[in-house]
Amino acid sequence: MDDRDLDLRNLTYRLFVELGRAPSADDVAEAAALTRAEVAEGWRRLHDAHALVLEPRTSEIRMANPFSAVPTAYRVEAAGRSWYGNCAWDAFGICAALHVDGRVQTACPDCGEPIGIEVRDERPDDESLLFHCLVPAAHWWDDIVFT
Amino acid sequence: MNLFRSEEHVELWLAGRPPGATVPVTTLCDLAHAWWSDRLAPDWQPHTREQNQAILNRLGLTGPFWRL
Repeated sequence: MDDRDLDLRNLTYRLFVELGRAPSADDVAEAAALTRAEVAEGWRRLHDAHALVLEPRTSEIRMANPFSAVPTAYRVEAAGRSWYGNCAWDAFGICAALHVDGRVQTACPDCGEPIGIEVRDERPDDESLLFHCLVPAAHWWDDIVFT
Repeated sequence: MNLFRSEEHVELWLAGRPPGATVPVTTLCDLAHAWWSDRLAPDWQPHTREQNQAILNRLGLTGPFWRL
């Protein structure tokens, strides 16, 4: 990843947090004084480097891990906003990335019982819960949306 | 990558599929902070595979399942 793509990646993440949503290619192009095509080409390189994940059909952002651009089963209240994590790991990752306390809201995938976890000083308030990872680490990026 | 109420709920959800790995939510929280805390830093650099593997190892997430 060269400095140009690193700058594009960092700007994309900064805008995600400032806007509270995934920036569009137009948003980033305007902020970076680039063309939309230049942003799209840079995002494609970052996607290939696993630095973010694009929607296959639109080439807009699907994931700027740990943030999800689309609603998921993992909603996070943190830093005065609502966010979505791509999975349980990412939900806690949003608090970690923002360096704030927060609340993760989800439901048990088996029974549907709501689960709410407060994260305070990097610790969950309910330590009885379990995290299950189905896909072995070597295959996480085979299909990152499924993972 | 999901959160469950108990081991029993994991097994019911798997419905006979081969299980992956189950770890306490406290380990997950530690993992998230080690993995993602630099994500918004202005001087962020991509983690190498070795750096990420070291994070997993440090938290006891070892063995073939956790090999990147």
